[in-house]
Amino acid sequence: MDPATKRPVQGSAKLVMDSYAEYALEVAIQLKEKHPGSKVVAICVGDKPTDDVLRRAYALTADEAVRVWDPAWADLDSQAVAHILARTIQKLGGADLVLTGREAGDIERGVVGPTLAEELGCACATIVARVEAVEGGTAVVRREVDGGYALVSTRLPAVLTITNDETNVPRLPKVKDLMMAARKPITTLGAADLDLDPARLASPLELVDLYIPVQEGQCEIIEGDDGPAKAAALARRLHELKLV
Amino acid sequence: MEAATRPVFWHIEHSWFMYVLMVPSLAIFCYGLYRRYKFWRLGRPVARFDRPWERLRRVLVHVLGHGRFLRESIAGLMHGLIFWSMLLLFIGTVVVAIDTDLRIPIMRGWFYLIYQSLVLDVVGALGMVGLGIALVRRYVLRVPRLQHNREGKAPDPSDWVTLLSLFLLFVQGFALEAIRIAANPQPWDALSVVGYALAVPLRGLSQEGLIAAYQFFWWFHTVTVFGWIAYLPWSKMAHFFTSLLDVYFSDLRPPGEGTLQPIDFEKAERLGVSAITDLTWKDLLDLDACTACGRCQDVCPAYAAGQPLSPKNLILDLRDYVHAHAPALLAGKATVEELPPLVGGAIKEETLWACTTCRACMEECPVFIEHVPKIVEMRRHLVMEQASAPETLQEALKSLEDRAHPYKGATASRTDWCEGLEVPLASEVGGEIEVLYWVGCTAAFDPRNQKVARALAQLLHHAGVKFAILGPEEACCGDPARRMGNEFLYDMIARQNIEILRQYRPKRIVTACPHCQNALGNEYRQFGADFEVVHHTQLLKELVESGRLKVEAGSLGKVTFHDPCYLGRWQGEYEAPRDLLARAGADRVEMERSRSRSFCCGAGGAHAWMEETGGGPRVNQIRAREAAATGAQAIATACPFCMQMMEDGVKTTAGEEGPRVLDVAELLLQAMEETGPHTRQAQAAR
Repeated sequence: MDPATKRPVQGSAKLVMDSYAEYALEVAIQLKEKHPGSKVVAICVGDKPTDDVLRRAYALTADEAVRVWDPAWADLDSQAVAHILARTIQKLGGADLVLTGREAGDIERGVVGPTLAEELGCACATIVARVEAVEGGTAVVRREVDGGYALVSTRLPAVLTITNDETNVPRLPKVKDLMMAARKPITTLGAADLDLDPARLASPLELVDLYIPVQEGQCEIIEGDDGPAKAAALARRLHELKLV
Repeated sequence: MEAATRPVFWHIEHSWFMYVLMVPSLAIFCYGLYRRYKFWRLGRPVARFDRPWERLRRVLVHVLGHGRFLRESIAGLMHGLIFWSMLLLFIGTVVVAIDTDLRIPIMRGWFYLIYQSLVLDVVGALGMVGLGIALVRRYVLRVPRLQHNREGKAPDPSDWVTLLSLFLLFVQGFALEAIRIAANPQPWDALSVVGYALAVPLRGLSQEGLIAAYQFFWWFHTVTVFGWIAYLPWSKMAHFFTSLLDVYFSDLRPPGEGTLQPIDFEKAERLGVSAITDLTWKDLLDLDACTACGRCQDVCPAYAAGQPLSPKNLILDLRDYVHAHAPALLAGKATVEELPPLVGGAIKEETLWACTTCRACMEECPVFIEHVPKIVEMRRHLVMEQASAPETLQEALKSLEDRAHPYKGATASRTDWCEGLEVPLASEVGGEIEVLYWVGCTAAFDPRNQKVARALAQLLHHAGVKFAILGPEEACCGDPARRMGNEFLYDMIARQNIEILRQYRPKRIVTACPHCQNALGNEYRQFGADFEVVHHTQLLKELVESGRLKVEAGSLGKVTFHDPCYLGRWQGEYEAPRDLLARAGADRVEMERSRSRSFCCGAGGAHAWMEETGGGPRVNQIRAREAAATGAQAIATACPFCMQMMEDGVKTTAGEEGPRVLDVAELLLQAMEETGPHTRQAQAAR
């Protein structure tokens, strides 16, 4: 974490796919396996290094990978990303189902999916654990709600934001697929290829601070002659500290 | 005595018929061996024809000398008696053939009296003693490892046919000798001690009766011998030949270089083993060399913990599969894809995942069968071709890929462990690095093992060793990935690590993790690396011996040392840690199983990241109980995984009352702090 720029420092760490996006990709691949003839396209808004993430999608048997980036986009926020994704999807000819993670695993805003649905003018189901069925222009999905589940039917096209579930644990790639992924082409699109509204790329939000709270622990040993005495001393101390 | 000999075809007419009988017998015998040879030829090539003298030496030591057999005295003696007696009796038969068929009179005089009469009678008797021991062990004492325990499979009839047929052949030989002596007494008969004694009660019988009995037994013996010879290669007795070959073609390389072989991913079309033709010819020979003696099963930690793996049955199941399907492959009636599945079928996936790669089976096998490479090769198929692995392993693999260490969710950094200690990074120190301390993921991220790393760093400071760590540049050594069967990931990790290590060119690398040591020092050689990597106990021993580290005996009390598999069996180091413990004043006691027979802690082969399934006590609990049984106050070990497993084992079996688990480095530091001038210094550093 760099306190000056309020940004995480990557260091030597590798760029990896967001974990909720991994669940979404797993759901997409399972749907493709269930519905022969359908196609999974992985889209990522990011600079060159994010190719690694798209190669992972290829290794997990995505059919196409598209990376969208423009050098002018230094500091995109969630709304901007949703706008770019929407235009990209339209450029690619649309999709029956758009799956995103329920939120980004790091900043956890959960804005991209719903905004994307708004941009595309289609339905949106959030926090989807399972896609139960896709048939005749509708999808039945299982949403996670407080203390249980909600079964929702939505017309297509729709945006689903996927949460983790025992049915969508990301699979391991086969080595053959990993090796082939390295050779597959990644389509790259830039601002010029898309019909973007510059006003929607500017962020209405400003990050004021980003920090890891400092945690401190200390240890105190309660003395006492025997068990009851120690317990009494402990109770006194806890009262003093206003913990009970 | 010069004329002493015996008539070979005594009262036997039409002896030519014996040679007629010999033809089909030898034909069936040869075809049986040839059939097996054809099976072996289905295997992939593997270089095992180098260093013939060393191979012959191994045969002399371990076949003729029974080297590994005698690791178990009774069973070893049993086999030795049968083996040596049959060998000498075979020589006796060859002598008869030379004398009779080649008409070179060698079975005469003193040689006849000493060898053909006395020696052969004595060894014949000893051979029968050996067979008796075998029969008693198998059918009276019912030694567990000899018993058939494969569900849904029939027991091998040659288990009893072998012992019984040999016993009968010996009896017949003595009977013939006794009748001949009774009917045709000679002054030197007493030298044939057994036959002479057996002849005593026969003396009163009529000459004609004895001759008739002799003729009958002679032909009976001839027929049974030829039947027996024809049966040899079709039964477990094929091991007379296959085991001999298996020892000759065994792996001469040190375990770290030999056991697991790299894959050329550019060329390989199939990854790992999932078919007969993916095995090497040596693998296939291994299967035929197995006699189901069960020594491997006896020492297997997975088997002891009730997990679904018996190395013996693994080999037998593989053999059954090969014998059932190789003929169709050879005849071109089926392709490997058309056969029933090997991995997941004949061999269950959970069997493959149960192995801790501790090598105890391979160390114990008298005929050098290589179990671990087969298991890892089949894991390779599962992980790389089928992308199938237990869930917790998948998480570890993913973490390895994403974070370069197998600990999912670990939040510490690679250098947190050395906070407050002066431990420079290799990237910060200029010039040559005397010692590069390779910390390893477990010592970096596991709080308990961080303490071991701190102890080692302090010891190195005390000894004035200039060392550095890679810190953020350090990555997993790849051992877990390789043992899980993900050779692809291991390959990448290893090459990256080699590149980084080559940049710094350390004179030596020290690590407190035997798995890292084996990977960096031995397995990386397969990629052309040549690093000198020592275990911390080896370096510390050197420092103590050279006087750089001053250690006096402290009051450590009774200590037992648990040999880590990857330090001991994989790398042959048993003494350095024991030596250090002795110098530190430990009153050393040994567990029932130690050194090359040490019992795994249960963490090897990527089991540190797996849930142990199986009903009985876990591997680490078995070992912790064994350690506690020595009465030791402390269990010393020298591997971060052993540390975790033994601590857990003690906690879950003996609770707080149990012995403490400490690394040798920690005990050494403890002794130094008690006695040495470093005391204050060390306390300040803590």
